[in-house]
Amino acid sequence: MSVVGECIVAFIFGSAVGLLVQRSRFCNTAAIRDAILFKSFRNTKALLVAMIILTVAFTTFISIGEGNPMRFDVGLNTMAGLFLFGIGMVLAGACTVSTWVKAGEGNIGAMWALLFTFIGMFLFSLVWSVNYWPPASSSMTGQPDLEALQLGFANAQTLQDTFGVPAVVFGLVQALVLFLIYRAIRRKETAQARHHETVKAERKPTTPPAKPAVVVDAAQ
Amino acid sequence: MEFFKKTLDPVIALAAIAVLDIFLFLLVGAWTVGGGETMMTGLIAKFFMGDALNRIPFWNLVFVPDFGYWKIYISLGMLTGAIVGAVLSGEFYIRYPRRISEWILITIGGLLMGIGIRLAFVCNVSTFFGLTPEMNLGGYLAISGIVAGAWVGSLIYKKILEG
Repeated sequence: MSVVGECIVAFIFGSAVGLLVQRSRFCNTAAIRDAILFKSFRNTKALLVAMIILTVAFTTFISIGEGNPMRFDVGLNTMAGLFLFGIGMVLAGACTVSTWVKAGEGNIGAMWALLFTFIGMFLFSLVWSVNYWPPASSSMTGQPDLEALQLGFANAQTLQDTFGVPAVVFGLVQALVLFLIYRAIRRKETAQARHHETVKAERKPTTPPAKPAVVVDAAQ
Repeated sequence: MEFFKKTLDPVIALAAIAVLDIFLFLLVGAWTVGGGETMMTGLIAKFFMGDALNRIPFWNLVFVPDFGYWKIYISLGMLTGAIVGAVLSGEFYIRYPRRISEWILITIGGLLMGIGIRLAFVCNVSTFFGLTPEMNLGGYLAISGIVAGAWVGSLIYKKILEG
């Protein structure tokens, strides 16, 4: 596909995502934060459903050699970076998606978060230019490099190549695990709703309130 | 139109996004945001710094500023789609944080997100909508990191709310 074609496809995809996220109030930050802080799973369930669909689809296409999976080495930096990101998204109250969507709703705070995300990226580029870590794509080998705290590259394709089993088989196992998490959440929600109903019923008076007793004024 | 009057069930919205993401995966690559934001940072820095930016190796070796980088347009599309949705549903209005503490938290949060994305080479979107469904080892490392980070962030947030 030509560069212009790629950009047009990306823009159409982004526009549909922006519209759907705006109308559904989905938030990736809330999907994790609300589950931890408030035991509320509205966004978590949506995230899990998307991940189940994507796992089955991506691994199916990887099995037959189709699609464009991401290919780069991962390592300690992957976990450390997302750890910092996780703290940041809760403090900012938005992630990479909701900053753009909230900015589109006229939220100045989201635009401010976006501005400082850019500044954070620029600051990191300065640090990287001194220590050259983590390795740039051009120097990635796909193999573990423990000195550079890199674990190399591994995905459904490498599993298929190593074990000779179609990638989709591994994908179905992952989808099942995600589904079990989803089901556990649904059960927890049902239990919460039942508990809520019980508490409500207990608080409701079962007999009509007694008529106030006639108070005889002692002065009469 | 009903679509712009009622809030859409996020499960339906995310299922639809997942289907669209499958097409994107087949055509160019799975949904990601961090890469496009980095390229925008480079383009903005190039605008202000000109050729002086070439003296920073990161912008020669990792991200060479380029308007033709498709990931930029996902972000611009999300902004456009959100504006359309907000305007048509009457939910577009200028709002801003009222307290100075909120501005400080957003500033620190934004910086941490930017640094974290570049340190990891991935963002939360590629973690959940790309790497993990591709069963990439990075997806599992990233999920462990983001959940631990969100937990620490929640503790800080709770402390501030209570304090």
